[in-house]
Amino acid sequence: MAPKPDSHTLASTSAASSDPSSILLHGPSPPPPPPRFSSVYSVLRPPRLRLKLPTFTLPSPMTVFSLVLLTYFMVVSGIVYDVIVEPPGIGSTQDPYTGSVKPLVFMPGRVNGQYIIEGLSSGFMFVVGGVGIILMDLALDKNRAKSVKVSYATAGISSVVIAYVMSMLFIRIKIPAYLH
Amino acid sequence: MAVTKTEPINGSTTKSSAPPLPSMPLKSDLLSILSLKSLRLKTKQQELLIRVSILCLVYVLAFITRLFSVLRYESMIHEFDPYFNYRTTLFLTQKGFYEFWNWFDSESWYPLGRIIGGTLYPGLMVTAAMMYWGLRFLRFAVHIREVCVLTAPFFASNTTLVAYFFGKEIWDTGAGLVAAVLIAICPGYISRSVAGSYDNEGVAIFALLLTFYLFVKAVNTGSLAWGLASAFGYFYMVSAWGGYVFIINLIPLYVLALLITGRYSMRLYVAYNCMYVLGMLLAMQIRFVGFQHVQSGEHMAAMGVFFLMQVFYFLDWVKHLLNDKKLFEAFLRITVTCAVGVGAIALGVGTASGYISPWSGRFYSLLDPTYAKDHIPIIASVSEHQPTAWSSFMFDFHILLFLFPAGLYFCFKRLSDATIFIVMYGLTSMYFAGVMVRLILVATPAVCLISAIAVSATIKNLTMLLRTKSKVSQTGSTKGTGGGKTSSKAMLDQSQPFQRNGAIALLFGAFYLLSRYAIHCTWVTSEAYSSPSIVLAARGAHGNRVIFDDYREAYYWLRQNTPPDAKVMSWWDYGYQITAMGNRTVIVDNNTWNNTHIATVGRAMSSYEDEAYEIMRSLDVDYVLVVFGGVTGYSSDDINKFLWMVRIGGGVFPVIKEPDYLVNGEYRVDKGAAPKMLNCLM
Repeated sequence: MAPKPDSHTLASTSAASSDPSSILLHGPSPPPPPPRFSSVYSVLRPPRLRLKLPTFTLPSPMTVFSLVLLTYFMVVSGIVYDVIVEPPGIGSTQDPYTGSVKPLVFMPGRVNGQYIIEGLSSGFMFVVGGVGIILMDLALDKNRAKSVKVSYATAGISSVVIAYVMSMLFIRIKIPAYLH
Repeated sequence: MAVTKTEPINGSTTKSSAPPLPSMPLKSDLLSILSLKSLRLKTKQQELLIRVSILCLVYVLAFITRLFSVLRYESMIHEFDPYFNYRTTLFLTQKGFYEFWNWFDSESWYPLGRIIGGTLYPGLMVTAAMMYWGLRFLRFAVHIREVCVLTAPFFASNTTLVAYFFGKEIWDTGAGLVAAVLIAICPGYISRSVAGSYDNEGVAIFALLLTFYLFVKAVNTGSLAWGLASAFGYFYMVSAWGGYVFIINLIPLYVLALLITGRYSMRLYVAYNCMYVLGMLLAMQIRFVGFQHVQSGEHMAAMGVFFLMQVFYFLDWVKHLLNDKKLFEAFLRITVTCAVGVGAIALGVGTASGYISPWSGRFYSLLDPTYAKDHIPIIASVSEHQPTAWSSFMFDFHILLFLFPAGLYFCFKRLSDATIFIVMYGLTSMYFAGVMVRLILVATPAVCLISAIAVSATIKNLTMLLRTKSKVSQTGSTKGTGGGKTSSKAMLDQSQPFQRNGAIALLFGAFYLLSRYAIHCTWVTSEAYSSPSIVLAARGAHGNRVIFDDYREAYYWLRQNTPPDAKVMSWWDYGYQITAMGNRTVIVDNNTWNNTHIATVGRAMSSYEDEAYEIMRSLDVDYVLVVFGGVTGYSSDDINKFLWMVRIGGGVFPVIKEPDYLVNGEYRVDKGAAPKMLNCLM
């Protein structure tokens, strides 16, 4: 009981000390060998751990790109504006005749103001447009099946068209005097 | 779009640069017409002619699209800050550089005065003065005001040229040309560089893009000459604008990214060392910057990366000497730990002892946007410093917002030193543009360049689809038809007309989108960004245009009807204009360097009249200037700004409390306003 875990721990620690950096790796350090007169710790058995420093591998470019796209979506939706100015999620207006409160999606009056939902939906449109162009490029890749290429191309073109039309609609609602 | 010869995928290098029309007979007609004119241009010369003519047109376009307000009103300086720049440029041309550099101005910030020579960025003034002296030397009798008004459009045209070269460096000439066109009319840039907007940014964006281009060129070629050029470009940027801090932090971040992705090379080492050391020494020549490059926390990243590069070089040398892998790994671990440890200790000691000053509020609020709202009301009150909503992005970028992610995708597909740089520039500048509306300007070149990559790559793909039809006899290296094997070619032949028509339709679609972009940009420039702010226009009851020239009339009244040593108290917005046009001493102006002085004025404006009188007597004030919109409903008069006066005054003098001026939390200025509001000086 006592000698066997001793030799194990001694062997493992000696192996560890030859490689200076892995002294730091030894997770929970094994308890000291129990002194002869006390067997309190004799019930404990140090686990045999095999810990390694997580090797730092660089992520692939496309992983980084998807993170970047997510960040772009958040920035372009005006998340900083939302955090600082704290506008409501959706605005409200009162109908002058009936007195009922109707929701108002686009903040009127200023170019540099928004409600949260409005920002997120416009940001989504921008990202859809960008992804559409990316899909169109993917459709030209030689190594895919033809049906996949055709579906990418259709999806890409329709995404761009929808995104452009919706963005124009949004900006016309927001700024009534647009292009007049 | 012109296709370069260096494109390896293009199998046929002898094909001339075709406009995206596939019909051969039309092209041979064109050639025959050209040869009829006995020009007999070869392909390369045709391409060069197209490129040069496009660039010339873009140069002229960038200049003339910024001239709306000159044509509508007259050639005058806009806004507030440009008046100060104009006044200093006038002084420079009249008194010479030595007097300018040592100027102490007692006409502003009475009674403190202002050391103008040591508290401004001289790049803009020196540039305008140089152009003025150059024109005078050539015996053109121009007035300095005309030179000042047209400086920004001239430099915008130069920026398009730099954008072309930069695009060529990052991707290819096609992308360069598209980048030049996009940046010539992009509203994000136009907003701060119209004719009349004689402000630092007009010159600074040119300097920024030039520095970045020279640095990327230095990293790509590894030549000391380009490194030297980038150091001088950086010097010009430091002399032009306080935003140079962006460069001195982006470039080390870029170098760090290259080191992490394992792209360390001798070229990077030469480029960064040359640029950092020389650039730092040159930057210290500007009095306003002084020793900040070694003392301020904002510049420490550059120094840290500089030392890290030396460590990398050292390790590389040791690796070369030492052929033992295991020993080198141990050595590597020890060295990196030591270097990082020493660096951290040095930084800690420097910050703790106060030698390295912490990040200034202006720049810290970019990293932590909530900081300014709570701590620095002056920064939070400027309308340009508000965070950006989606509509501001759309207004300033339009199509480019779709093309930006697509361009990023193309950059990630083809990673190189140069594309990594433009990606980092684009991402960091877009984040900062999201934090502050004013910084959309800094993001504009990056967005234009990346969008140009997307446009160029997409159009190249589409034209490749079109051109495969004509290469029936080519085998192998044709792209986009799925290979040159006969079996697949037979299968694809029946789909090729469909592909061709699809490609033509898509090209028309791309053309439509770009033309909508041009229409949008011109509309925005004409409606939103060409107002001088000092002359207001409105539509009268019958639809006729009414011009309000009240500001200038008021300043000229001051100039003609008050004693020359009169002191004028007003809110700080109007300080520069009063000194420049009214030629009278002011108490506070737009420089906002002394918060307590501004708070004193704010307190005077918001106290009861007898208290305010005491304050004004202590400041020797003779006249008070306020702006009131009255019946016209002018939205940025002093009544609308009043709460900011209260907040800023209350920030220093707790006597002034904002709730005193509000009724039920609402700001009212009619009969039902708070009693303190009704009885205060304003």
